[in-house]
Amino acid sequence: MNEYCVEMTNIVKSFGEVQAVKNGHFNLKKGEIHSLIGENGAGKSTMMKMLYGMYDFDDGTVKVNGEQLTKIVPKIAIEKGIGMVHQEFMLVNELTVLENIILGFEPRKGMRIDFEKARADIQEYIDEYNMDIQMNKKINQISVGEAQRVEIIKILCRGAEIIILDEPTAVLTPQEAQQLFRILDKLRENGKSIVFISHKLDEVMQISDRISVMRQGNYIGTVNKSETSEAELAKMMIGREVFLNIERKAATPGEVVLRVENLWTSGEKENSKIRGINLEVRAGEIVGVAGIDGNGQSELIEAITGLRKVEKGKVYLDGQDITNFQPKKVREAGLTHIPEDRNTRGLNRALSLKENIVAVQVDDKPFAKGMLVNNKEITDYTTKLAEKFDIRPRDPEMITQSLSGGNAQKIVVAREVSIGGKLLIASQPTRGVDIGAIESIRTILQEVKEEGRGVLLVSAELEELLSLSDRIVVMYEGKISGRMDASEANEENLGLLMMGGADTAKGGAA
Amino acid sequence: MKLRNIFNISLIYSTFHIATPIIYAALCAAITQQANILNVGTEGIMLMGCFVAVAVSYFTGSWILGTLAAMIGGMLIALIMAVGIIRYNADNCAIGMGVNLLATALTKYLLETIFGVSGNFTDPKIISIPKVNIPFIENIPIINDIFNNWYVTEWLVLVLIAVVWFMFYKTVWGLRLRAVGQFEQAAQTAGINVSSMKYQALLIGGLLGGLAGAHLALGYTTLFREGMTSNRGFMGVAAMYFGNANPIFSSIGCLVFGLASAIGNRVQAYGVPSQIVLLIPYVITIVVLVVSLVSKQAAERKKKSSLTNVN
Repeated sequence: MNEYCVEMTNIVKSFGEVQAVKNGHFNLKKGEIHSLIGENGAGKSTMMKMLYGMYDFDDGTVKVNGEQLTKIVPKIAIEKGIGMVHQEFMLVNELTVLENIILGFEPRKGMRIDFEKARADIQEYIDEYNMDIQMNKKINQISVGEAQRVEIIKILCRGAEIIILDEPTAVLTPQEAQQLFRILDKLRENGKSIVFISHKLDEVMQISDRISVMRQGNYIGTVNKSETSEAELAKMMIGREVFLNIERKAATPGEVVLRVENLWTSGEKENSKIRGINLEVRAGEIVGVAGIDGNGQSELIEAITGLRKVEKGKVYLDGQDITNFQPKKVREAGLTHIPEDRNTRGLNRALSLKENIVAVQVDDKPFAKGMLVNNKEITDYTTKLAEKFDIRPRDPEMITQSLSGGNAQKIVVAREVSIGGKLLIASQPTRGVDIGAIESIRTILQEVKEEGRGVLLVSAELEELLSLSDRIVVMYEGKISGRMDASEANEENLGLLMMGGADTAKGGAA
Repeated sequence: MKLRNIFNISLIYSTFHIATPIIYAALCAAITQQANILNVGTEGIMLMGCFVAVAVSYFTGSWILGTLAAMIGGMLIALIMAVGIIRYNADNCAIGMGVNLLATALTKYLLETIFGVSGNFTDPKIISIPKVNIPFIENIPIINDIFNNWYVTEWLVLVLIAVVWFMFYKTVWGLRLRAVGQFEQAAQTAGINVSSMKYQALLIGGLLGGLAGAHLALGYTTLFREGMTSNRGFMGVAAMYFGNANPIFSSIGCLVFGLASAIGNRVQAYGVPSQIVLLIPYVITIVVLVVSLVSKQAAERKKKSSLTNVN
């Protein structure tokens, strides 16, 4: 018998001119939990999507249970016992949990779907793994954690023996992550083989039997958990030592620059509607907003910046009422904004570096001369910023389409930080960027604070919030579930509040 | 003008009678809409169906063959769209309009080459779809007025509404179709062949669109006239949109068109200018679209608002 249920060797995959995987290797033993780690863009998800047949591979060999597969589509992968929980859940919002689970593998009674049998089959898995799932709800009515459990049940129902999880804890609280790990342990006990994609080293060290590392599309190596350490893994991932922990400088808070009073605003989901938020940010401090994605953080920022209508309540910037101002007016009042998604709101990827750098100031002197733009000024300014913020390549004319996540994000940061103003809103400023860029963006935020501006920082990375913020507020279902000084905060008490734990408000309004 | 001459028992059948061709078109559009393809080509599919139905009925003397051939003709037109949209990633509005222009031109050309006429073609040899006479209700006044002497295809449309509804919401096929339309990748990862589902939706839509044409040319009338669909395909698309691609609600939308036209026809007898009467269906189309868009947006806004459902 072959010891390995999956063997991927010499895998190559390109998207257009970008080589996502240059030299991929991965093998999975039966009944193990094998973590695949690497930075954003290292090629880990791409490798596993090829195994699941979402992408073709350009070169290399893939064997599943000893059988070589030349062409994989999801249907074949499922037949071979492979199941994948994608980072973005593959669930149809308008259908019920039950319909989503059976989709593609519906038990039939003639032409009709045998819902009774489906229900009974699914209940067996729910009981075995002790999961909390409501089968009759529609997907848009359940929480992210529950949706993830639905995904797991779905692939178990399809008979998966090899289970791939793509960054499953990114959307969970620390406590929910522990719950997931218990399910994974149980799956391993039942003989399933598990691939766990992550970049969180503590989790990897907790859950894995073996760990494989990728960097920039290349396979770096595989180690046994018992013979390695977080430090060694970090070095393998990044290729050098890193020091992410920036020493937090004490804040010297000044005047209130942002005051949000009893804010109510619409939400994309029931749980992300903002219902009565009070918040203050002072000059010279960083206020962190913690919370699981989708609990209203995006809506809160949109309401403050004029991108979403405020239904009730007030927003004051530096004493001026800016409630329901047009975004441009909000900016004129002194607000700068690093949006959470650089590809839709942060940058115009079809335009050049210099056009993006002056995008919000192109009406103003010296970049505009009457109706015309002053190209020389713009180019000089861009060159200066590219130098200062280390944007590569430095060419002001370069189209931003092909830039890496880190360099693209630096353009947004450079533009917003250089404008000045009273308040900087930084929403997920380091999401999807490499470690080097994370280091420099965090340092910049610290400098903005030292210059005496207020910073409102929204982040899904607790570690980022803990290392930068002076005060932290936690959002849960569109409300603030807790506020505390950063000195009192840790992953545990934040995690509890992120799940809606009791309000432990201290020191008045944040 | 006497109101009881306009609003009387026969208005019920008139409404349904005028609505039926549009209901067929709406069903054609609903099936592709469930796969997230807006069927702009409904009009062309239907027009092709009209021509094929008349031609085959004329040459074979069989309305059944004419109807079946019309369905196949509609499916072939839909196949052009399917290949363009699915295989070559064409924009469905562009290709839909292309197909509509093709059908207009092709039927005109074929009319001239096959029958040597232009504009209209009528002939006693065109065998029309028969009516269903139910003898035992002939003496029951109101029931007889409403239900007797329907065309076969008018009964058939009621069956089809039910069948299409059942297919969408009760069968494996329907679940997969809706999954493809709502979140293609989720369907793909469930091992469903997304392209195949889209082909099926378009081709079945084509069959129904062809049937719509057959009913129009062999039942509703017994002739072929250039451009005889007079935008009924687009009205079907509008009704489908109004009904959110649900066959029952879409059909109700069609009955609104039918009612408006039926009333229009009657007031014409009282000296209301025919231009205004002819305008009615198009005005109603715009009104229906505006109402459905505005109400959808209002519902969406209400759903997203923080001030509703406060716990």
